[in-house]
Amino acid sequence: MADYREPAYADVNRDILQTMLVTGPRYWIVFGITSTVALVCFVLPWIYQWHVGVGAAGMNRNAVWGTYLSNFIFWIGLSHSGTLLSAVLHITGSGWRKAIYRSAEAMTLFSLMTAALFVMVHLGRVWFVHWSIPIPNPMGLWPNFRSPLLFDVMAITTYLVASSIFIYMGSVPDYAAVRDASTGLRRRLYAIFSFGWRGTAQEWHTLGWAYTFFAVFVIPLAVSVHSIVSWDFAMSLVPGLHQTIFAPYFVCGAIYSGTAGIVTVMYLLRRCLNLERYIREIHLDNLGKLLIALSLVWSYINILELFTGWYSGTSYEYEALRFKLFGFYAPLYWEMITFCALVPLLIFWKKIRLSWNRMFVISILINIGMLTERFIIVATSQPRKFLPAAFGFYFPSVVEIMITIGSFAVFATLFLIFIKWTPCVSIYEVKETLKPLRRAA
Amino acid sequence: MEKINRRDFLKFIGAGGIGAGAGLLYGESTRKTVELLIPQVVTPEDYSPGIATWYNTVCRLCSAGCGISVRTREGRAKKIEGNPNHPVNQGRLCALGQAGLNALYNPDRIRTPLRRTGDRGNFAPIDWDEALTLLGRRLGNLKIKKQGSSVYLLAGGLRGHIDTLFYTFMQALGSDHYLHYEFTHPAALYAANRMIFNQDILPYYDISNASYVLSFGADYLGTWLSPVHYSLAYGHLRQGRTDQRGKCVQIEPRMSLTGASADEWIACRPGSEGLLAMAMVHVIVNDGLYRGPDRNAWLEATGPYTPEAVAAQADVAADVITRLAHEFIRRQPGLAIGGGSAASNTNATASLAAINVLNYLAGNLNTPGGVIFNPDPVSPASPVARQASYARLQEWIEAMAGGGVDVLITHAVNPVFTLPPAAGFTEALAKVAMVVSLSSFMDETTALADLILPSHTYLESWGDDMPEPGVGFPVATLSQPVVKPLYDTRDAGDIILSLAHQIGGELPVVLPWTRIEDYLKDSWKHIYGQRRITADSGGNFDEFWNAALAAGVWGENITREPLRFDGVAEDRIRALQVPPPAFAGEEKDHPFVLLPYLTQAFHDGRGANLPWLQELPDPLTSIVYGAWVEINPATAKRFGIREGDIVEVQTPSGSLRAPAFLYPAIRPDVIAMPIGQGHSQYGRYARGRGANPLEILSPLVDEASGALAWSATRAGIRKTGERAPLIKTDGVTRTLGRQILDDKPAHT
Amino acid sequence: MGKLTDKLKQYLKPGYYDKFDYHWTMTIDLDRCTGCEACVVACQAENNLPIVGEKRFRERREIKWLRVERYWEGEYPDVKLRFIPMLCQHCDQAPCETPCPVAATYHNQDGLNTQIYNRCIGTRTCAVYCPYEVRYFNWFSYTWDEPLEQQLNPDVTVREKGVMEKCTFCIQRIRQAKDRAKDDGRRRVRDGEVTPACVQSCPAEAMVFGDLNDPESRVAKLAKNARGYKVLEELNTAPSIVYLKKVNPDG
Repeated sequence: MADYREPAYADVNRDILQTMLVTGPRYWIVFGITSTVALVCFVLPWIYQWHVGVGAAGMNRNAVWGTYLSNFIFWIGLSHSGTLLSAVLHITGSGWRKAIYRSAEAMTLFSLMTAALFVMVHLGRVWFVHWSIPIPNPMGLWPNFRSPLLFDVMAITTYLVASSIFIYMGSVPDYAAVRDASTGLRRRLYAIFSFGWRGTAQEWHTLGWAYTFFAVFVIPLAVSVHSIVSWDFAMSLVPGLHQTIFAPYFVCGAIYSGTAGIVTVMYLLRRCLNLERYIREIHLDNLGKLLIALSLVWSYINILELFTGWYSGTSYEYEALRFKLFGFYAPLYWEMITFCALVPLLIFWKKIRLSWNRMFVISILINIGMLTERFIIVATSQPRKFLPAAFGFYFPSVVEIMITIGSFAVFATLFLIFIKWTPCVSIYEVKETLKPLRRAA
Repeated sequence: MEKINRRDFLKFIGAGGIGAGAGLLYGESTRKTVELLIPQVVTPEDYSPGIATWYNTVCRLCSAGCGISVRTREGRAKKIEGNPNHPVNQGRLCALGQAGLNALYNPDRIRTPLRRTGDRGNFAPIDWDEALTLLGRRLGNLKIKKQGSSVYLLAGGLRGHIDTLFYTFMQALGSDHYLHYEFTHPAALYAANRMIFNQDILPYYDISNASYVLSFGADYLGTWLSPVHYSLAYGHLRQGRTDQRGKCVQIEPRMSLTGASADEWIACRPGSEGLLAMAMVHVIVNDGLYRGPDRNAWLEATGPYTPEAVAAQADVAADVITRLAHEFIRRQPGLAIGGGSAASNTNATASLAAINVLNYLAGNLNTPGGVIFNPDPVSPASPVARQASYARLQEWIEAMAGGGVDVLITHAVNPVFTLPPAAGFTEALAKVAMVVSLSSFMDETTALADLILPSHTYLESWGDDMPEPGVGFPVATLSQPVVKPLYDTRDAGDIILSLAHQIGGELPVVLPWTRIEDYLKDSWKHIYGQRRITADSGGNFDEFWNAALAAGVWGENITREPLRFDGVAEDRIRALQVPPPAFAGEEKDHPFVLLPYLTQAFHDGRGANLPWLQELPDPLTSIVYGAWVEINPATAKRFGIREGDIVEVQTPSGSLRAPAFLYPAIRPDVIAMPIGQGHSQYGRYARGRGANPLEILSPLVDEASGALAWSATRAGIRKTGERAPLIKTDGVTRTLGRQILDDKPAHT
Repeated sequence: MGKLTDKLKQYLKPGYYDKFDYHWTMTIDLDRCTGCEACVVACQAENNLPIVGEKRFRERREIKWLRVERYWEGEYPDVKLRFIPMLCQHCDQAPCETPCPVAATYHNQDGLNTQIYNRCIGTRTCAVYCPYEVRYFNWFSYTWDEPLEQQLNPDVTVREKGVMEKCTFCIQRIRQAKDRAKDDGRRRVRDGEVTPACVQSCPAEAMVFGDLNDPESRVAKLAKNARGYKVLEELNTAPSIVYLKKVNPDG
């Protein structure tokens, strides 16, 4: 940090646009790998499943929900990264968000898209998915508005649309920067994308007002989206799932997971796109503090779950807890506790918190733990419902595991496309953190 | 747009053409074949499309003879229901009966006559004329040479006029060798009834009106004699009366389906049931609960069978024996019945006789709620004389092995599967010059045949049945085809009639009919002639016949000659003794008793080729698609056996391997296996699945009746170290404190 | 104002009628049930249930709309075994009807919980929400080995992959009975005119089916029996199946 030289405005434009405009072979190799993995591990198994039936996955008569839904929730959770960083921290006026919020918003968008894909993979007859959308149709039927899954459809669609507008709107000045720095077809395209942005005071004012409006709009949306997703479970009668704590639990877990995701993505961006001057320790420090706060809340909620289950005194809750903590998937449960409650405690130490490599590892462990947590919710609750003779077991199949891996590749592919289409660090907002231009001597 | 040159143009056209062609081909290949609609211009005669036609007939999947109504649509059988008119099942039907459609539409049915080519097991199709000529000529030659007695006919439990047809045929051929053999035939029960009650046919056990049913291993709700009727009766015994609820006690080494419904289940040693019955007789007579004139004779006969002495042998506490005896006598009308291991040890007849005595002492003979003797069937006579015990079949096996059998015809029987190999049937079969099977399915016995003349399944056949056990009054059920025959098979009766005509001589004179339907109709003239009630069917026989066909059943519920019972002859009382059970194998090497048991789905293995039954979770274990060995959990723990571990069961007569199941309600010194799996033939659903416990039975016999003592084999078990996890549908079979079943005391 | 609030209250339970035209109910007497499973095979035959095969059973993907559960109590030699047939309870406050996003399952005016196969998109939420676990999903499109398909009941749809199914109280028989009653000029189906396949087959007459709205019907009288209870009643699902407790004579 001693040799840190604050970049000048021109440096900002040049460095960040360079990530977009200059593409080396390394990018193409990575892109090739992710898109191939996405094809082989996501698309092809899905086509196979489409053809054969959802039986290609490992679900059965008890556990009719499996990794498709648990991954869906994980990706929705990850999508809360952008909202928190971008919207919440914008309202609170935090300066340190400016370098990283664009990528975070992109993460939101692509997580939502991946999550939506998982809904489709999960469906038994996905070719009729449009029936869940309330559009006029020849059958004269509306979908069932009392269904938490329909709340999902509404909420996620709204969130997706709102996030898309949010990120697009915030990128307009940067598109103008790209337009100004490029020629030919790209110049023409970005001229369209930037809506002819000229950078007048009036335009800046309008942008600021609109951006703040959307920030305020998106925050309750994010809270409601994941609450609604949690109600897919909480509105059932399944022991262990039917709890009011689920909405706060999921929202907290989502923000937690999303923030950890931001750390991961920031580390990679910083490394691969040479953005060390823009993504700095202060970001890591603050993200770390966020993480520890969220980890503590998350741990608290988990303890509450255990307590309320025990306190209920019913055979249903006891058995659900027992199976979760000591049954077949006990190792996964304790792994989750380790990675999400214990390991993040290390962040209290500044030495850990300010170390890029260590925080990268911790963030990945947190997300592994969160992915496990979603899986445990699905896999340990359904096989232990009310009638003991109907108890069962669930284990994911090869197709499911491939699609899980493939989903990360899909996300990565989308993100890789993103960094070539939009500046991954917000040029104009970073400039706001720098000292103003000195006049040439 | 740039100009396209000719070369490019042709390329585009070619590509487009190929693409279109490929698309067209793909479309054609994925399109379903066109299905024809039934044109309404010429309507079919025997059905109206869209409207169901119901046919009443008889179920032949076990020996109970329930009446069934089959719903057909457009000439195809859709659903089998019980015939509400039939007094045996009164509109109800069991799981096996419901699965009968799987037999009719089984993919592995034999569709044409087959003739052996080369080694046993290889067949080539031949047509009926050739097949019948082949067999007819051979039989004819034997008859001419006065060697008709080297023709043997072995049938499954046949009754009614088809049995008479077979008998007449064999007699005309000059052969006395016509027997029925079924694994489930209760030979010991017949012998015991003859001994104590002087009855040749089974009585009607009036469970419906009883207050107390004391069952020594008789699985009357699952497999014993007439399970549908007894289940109906059981339901009535429990909750059909407002003033009382009957009590059911089950005494057996392993909890059967009936044992699960009993109020009290008592685990006794296998084969000790008769001793327990004698001890109860002892208590009843000793404690002054029986005051008949022959009291002293009974006292003498049961002297040594004190509760204390028997308690040690049976492993049932003496006070329990005394209490049950008192309860039984006090709660009348009560019924004592025996089956399962009580009827399948070396003391089977004696055990069942002792159980019969309990009924006698209780005074419930010929009274409602007790043992009601059945009148003789109207026509024809019951084929009891032809129902062979294992010992009687042994004589045949010896004749076969000695080369004295030229032709063996089998119908609806699979002795290669149901007889233990120790009987030597399979080896003897090889010495028979010509084995003919009339089976619809390629079962183990049929696979060894020389000629297969496939008969219709029961849903395509004519016939009739007089249920045994009867229901207290004469009943005759008609069996008629419910669909046109699916394949090139023939009615078994038609096969016999064709053979009669083929053979010539006196046979066509004795059996002049060419169609089984005509034979049957003519035979029913006897029934028509013996009716007492003539009011229901107007005047002539044709109306009677049509009415019987429509109803599926004819019966006369009026009292005929009162059936008397003059008491047990004194010499019989003195001769009554129940020896302790004998077992094959020493306790040292074979510490367990192997108890094979019948299941309500597979019976003696006949249901194993029906996919619905393979998919039916076993009622007591929820296991599907397999066989298993049941071991007491404490015993399993001692041996370190977990569920799914493959164990080897070794008896003095062989060994087999099957996965273990920890069964909570079995004696620690007994292991049990379901009968029915372990087929090596019999179609895709049955073949190569599980193990057959009958294969390792030692050939002990109950001397008094000749019945196979199939629960008299001792066994040892050995862990093999391999595992084959059982396919169960059950999760956890304890309620874990949850209020799912809500048992409540009777007095609330 | 009162009328308005009443009208608004109607929307609290839309789709659940306060008074059903019929209210099809079943009673299962556990003191009669012998666990023989004749009902299970009858249901399979009547409703075109697929033969899923050994592999699918191993994967716990069987389809048996009606299953017999067994529960052991005690240890040898004082051990008891109890059976309880479990099928769709046709709950009047069904937890499965609310969460279906496309309204493929709903409560009809006869008190039946119906499953509309051609509307189902296979989210399987209803199966998660069902506490009795009586809903079964078609993980694959099943086929029958020829000629077993000749037996299929033409009155019942054969379901394709991706569709949820469950006991319908043999709604095809109910429809036919109602049609017959209409043709006869009668307005109501009489007690005993319609029986589902399971009820018809039960050898011990443990199952009784009928219209609870008809006070003279057998089922209406049996439903008031002192031994009557509903499984998992505390979950407030309001099932339409009343079980009659097995009597324990020793108290």
